[in-house]
Amino acid sequence: MKIAGDGNLKIQMDMGDRLRKRGHFEVFSAVIYALFLREVNTRFSSGTLGYFWVIFEPLMQIAIFVTVKLALFGSSSNMDYALFITVGFIAFNLFRHIVDRSMSAFNSNRGLYAYKQVKPIDGLIARVLVEILISVIIALIFLLVALYMGRDIGVENLGMVLFGFLWLVVFAFGFGLFIAVIGVFFDSFLKVIKLILSPLMFISAVFYPMQNLPQSLQNILYFNPLAHFIEMIHSNFFFELDGHFIDYDYILFWTLTPLYFGLFFYRKLEKRIISK
Amino acid sequence: MIELINVTKYFKTPKGRKYILKDVSFTIPSNLNVGIVGKNGAGKSTLMRMLGQIEFPNSGKIVSNKSFSWVMGVGGGFQNNMTGRANVKFVCRIYGKSKEEIRRAIEFVKEFSELGDYFDMPIRTYSSGMKSRLTFGLSLAFDFDYLLIDETLSVGDARFRKKSKDALMRKIEQCNVLLVSHDMGTLRQICDVGIVAHNAKLHYFDNIDEAIDMYKEINS
Repeated sequence: MKIAGDGNLKIQMDMGDRLRKRGHFEVFSAVIYALFLREVNTRFSSGTLGYFWVIFEPLMQIAIFVTVKLALFGSSSNMDYALFITVGFIAFNLFRHIVDRSMSAFNSNRGLYAYKQVKPIDGLIARVLVEILISVIIALIFLLVALYMGRDIGVENLGMVLFGFLWLVVFAFGFGLFIAVIGVFFDSFLKVIKLILSPLMFISAVFYPMQNLPQSLQNILYFNPLAHFIEMIHSNFFFELDGHFIDYDYILFWTLTPLYFGLFFYRKLEKRIISK
Repeated sequence: MIELINVTKYFKTPKGRKYILKDVSFTIPSNLNVGIVGKNGAGKSTLMRMLGQIEFPNSGKIVSNKSFSWVMGVGGGFQNNMTGRANVKFVCRIYGKSKEEIRRAIEFVKEFSELGDYFDMPIRTYSSGMKSRLTFGLSLAFDFDYLLIDETLSVGDARFRKKSKDALMRKIEQCNVLLVSHDMGTLRQICDVGIVAHNAKLHYFDNIDEAIDMYKEINS
């Protein structure tokens, strides 16, 4: 019997795309790009309802809270409340999804660590990028819908809004990285974090402006860094809101501390995460 | 050339450290095909994984300026929820292949691995033989200095084993192989020199037959 016809072997010999020596950054970006495409593919492959959930989740959140607000308080203020909630949930979901997806990032790419180019943190970065992409698309869709409905979208300070989102991403990345690294070695840590994060939606100024709350409540919510971020985005978006609640030093501390310790422990433990 | 310098590798167990390698230093000269033998648990696979840089010594280091493939082991090295095609694309991308090169690689791997419709099914539906065919076929699409093969040549039916071996014989005209196997025939046919992993040490032999003799002695 003739094994593997000669044609076959010829292809194989021509396959010789000599492996070039590549720089660290070239390898890194190739890996991130490959992981990014893989994430997008698994999230949005047919049969997983990926597209549906991405739109449906914020839609439900907004619908529920707008309804509740109208039922309880009527449409009193002159601020566009639907728009306020939409902006709040886009920011909140961005943080929440980055953190959620970070928690499982190290384990869900485990099979790919067989290739030495793929480091655990690459999968996490790819997931953050996917979440950013999803947020941008969602934001654009909602913006177009709002414009179509004839809403007036005047942003007070677009630059600061975008800066707020960018800073929020860095915060979410650092926080996600930190808990992901710790979570690799302490399973129960992730469960505790999930428990702590579950009421987060209600204490993060997502569907109410801080200035409408009594001072005593503001003083308590002050300790939640996410409330500062969402307040920062809100107050730069809407002319009606001031940003006196926001303590930039406090959120800078909350950005740098998890990021520093996350990177520090990651560097120490990377090899153990790979071969675990 | 592959140089091991004071390499120690252990795993922590409830009973203390289980040494896979203890202060091992030696050099594997270039342009040789190396067979690695040893009892189960002697650290053959760990050695391969260290050469593939996905496992790391506890102390000491492994130095080489050669390029190594990923470790072609039984079952490992794939993301189960991705299809065969997606896996091939992924690996090509991380090695920096262009679109055109990826297209050719997919064509080649699909043909070589004879997976048929399974090529577009998730890896979790594959048998271990099918996984081996995919990973081996894929490795042929690259020019590594060393192929790291852990047992995979002995998976699959006789016809495909023969096909793989023939393909490997052609391939090693341009590159070398580090081969873990329990099949002495295959080792003799492909390898020039041998390493016996035994009692946390590696024993190097200039001739694969001597390595096999020592391995047989250990086993008897």
